[in-house]
Amino acid sequence: MAAHVAVISLASDFGCQVQMTNLDDKLLAVLGQFELSYWQLASSGHLPETYDVAVIEGAVTTPEHVELLKRVRATAGTVILIGACAVTGGIPGLAADGFAERLACVYGEDGSLLECVAGISPMPVDSVIDVDYRVPGCPIQPDELVAVLQRALMGLADRPQREPMCASCKVAENQCFYEHGVVCLGMITRSGCGAKCISLGRPCTGCRGVAADANLEYARQVLVERGLDPARLVTALQLYNSLQEATR
Amino acid sequence: MSTLTVEHVARIEGHGTISVEVKDGAVGEIRMDVVEPTRLFESMVVGRRFDEAPLITSRICGICSPNHAVTSLKALEAAMDIEISERTRLLRTLLVHGSFLQNHATHLYVLAAPDYVGLPNFIPLAESHPEVVARALSIKKLGNDLTTAIGGRPVHPITAVVGGFTAEPSKADVEALAKRLHAVAKDVAETVGLFSTFDVPTFDTAGEMLALKAAGEYAVYDGDVCALDAGWCRPVAEYRDFVTEHVVGHSNAKHSMIDGRTFMVGALARVNLNWDQLMPTARIVASKAGLRPVSKNTFANNLCQAIELVDAAERCAMLCEKLLEDTGTSKPVGYKIKAGTGTSATEAPRGTLYHTLAIDDDGFVTAGNVITPTAQNLANLEADMRAFAPTVVDLPEEQFVLRVEQLVRAYDPCLSCAVH
Repeated sequence: MAAHVAVISLASDFGCQVQMTNLDDKLLAVLGQFELSYWQLASSGHLPETYDVAVIEGAVTTPEHVELLKRVRATAGTVILIGACAVTGGIPGLAADGFAERLACVYGEDGSLLECVAGISPMPVDSVIDVDYRVPGCPIQPDELVAVLQRALMGLADRPQREPMCASCKVAENQCFYEHGVVCLGMITRSGCGAKCISLGRPCTGCRGVAADANLEYARQVLVERGLDPARLVTALQLYNSLQEATR
Repeated sequence: MSTLTVEHVARIEGHGTISVEVKDGAVGEIRMDVVEPTRLFESMVVGRRFDEAPLITSRICGICSPNHAVTSLKALEAAMDIEISERTRLLRTLLVHGSFLQNHATHLYVLAAPDYVGLPNFIPLAESHPEVVARALSIKKLGNDLTTAIGGRPVHPITAVVGGFTAEPSKADVEALAKRLHAVAKDVAETVGLFSTFDVPTFDTAGEMLALKAAGEYAVYDGDVCALDAGWCRPVAEYRDFVTEHVVGHSNAKHSMIDGRTFMVGALARVNLNWDQLMPTARIVASKAGLRPVSKNTFANNLCQAIELVDAAERCAMLCEKLLEDTGTSKPVGYKIKAGTGTSATEAPRGTLYHTLAIDDDGFVTAGNVITPTAQNLANLEADMRAFAPTVVDLPEEQFVLRVEQLVRAYDPCLSCAVH
């Protein structure tokens, strides 16, 4: 019997689900191997009682999200996170620092009176439940999702790229931003996107999270050697990783 | 008395719940609860470097990310008095129209069409109407390929930066795109044809309609804000004086009013206000489909999105050809970081999108304000639901609920945008 898949979204911009639809011709080839049980963005219906694989997008920002995730973990044999929001806390994580004050700042002094603003400080999904696979990035790369789905289907363990982006940059023969005194997070960011941004003329912003093999101390030294304030490394890394150890 | 509730309305972007009270065959209270969790983007840009602001605001919405990115770039350039090149403007206009192709094709075929052919979702269409699915995917893919060529990827553009672009598509890529944009003419015209055959209710909104207008073009990149009924046009920089936002208890998204009225933005408002600036083909196709301004039928918003597909395809082909002739550069212009406040608006697929960003002398953001199209539409959407529901309350419950859902989906609401 085909594995039943539920696609669940927490606080996000839906961009990774959009990337799922951008699989275009591959979409049916991949999803055809599964039974799609629930996908609110694309279909009527409710989250079913049972399913085998949960694909989760978004950060945890409400008490309901926490309850939902616990139910999902108890139901699904396999949990796959897609995108920076779910994996690292991503951009929503930027709101974690001084969360209560921020609510007042956007909604005004009477904001606290709102019954529906029962938000909690943003968290990545793995601070609530155990997860089996992570597809990082903002947004995800559709091909990487396909690869992870295939691994899940075959029962193979997650195999994250360990090496940082610089390795991909060498392959792409990109010029290094540090030669122009520009801070780039390629030295410490998990590779796997083919150094997409750098190849298009923009420094890496760390959306894929910190690589397992990253050497943060050495990266700081590189900034010092280039006459740059090493604190800028952490400030830049906060953009997608403010809830991760490396920026604490 | 019973309350009909549709939790997490399907086939809209984000989480919303409709509740309708029905008592003795009459409609009581009716509302749209935006339960999408609040996201606090306006506070998140504060303290970040100015060049990170477009990266952050782009993440308000993965569906119309090019529009958020471009609108923030324009706000920053206004804040620092930066003049961009004609070529940069051309590329950004293509990015905005490319987003129309992506968004309208997705909304029309994947999210809206199943309602009108009696299906729960898009997937069974692949078996029953393979040619329709092929057409939908080809238009959406073209939109994706266009935004990828200009911005580097279909979601969250990479190359668009303050002052210009860090990379451009090759000449061969632009030529190939121009060809495909011409070739898609049949598909987009058939989309208008398809939506003109759908049985939509006759229902006029009582709200005002707003869109950007600019001399000599179908305004999407800039222009003044114009009101259809009232007839006025005002500069974008003054938007906070005329668009008033207020917090409502049942929604994590604020509601907006203008001149004390609810109002509608989006394809219907644009087609009404900018009919003369549509590409001639789009006007012809629209007229044949029975749409002529002024139309205030909310449900016609879908048809107008289809008409904008016709317009965008032909216009983007023309803009690509212009790009091939143009000898200028989109290389980011040099600029000095300085303190200032900038406001800008563009037309996103769902309507006028406003961004304001203030930065200090060191280039750090000190304040941000964003008003999204869906946030502007929500109050009008609820007013429409109140006026429309009593006209269909005699239908069997399932059909009644479907009609109300169709009304909601006609707005193509993006609730993740609305709660930004």
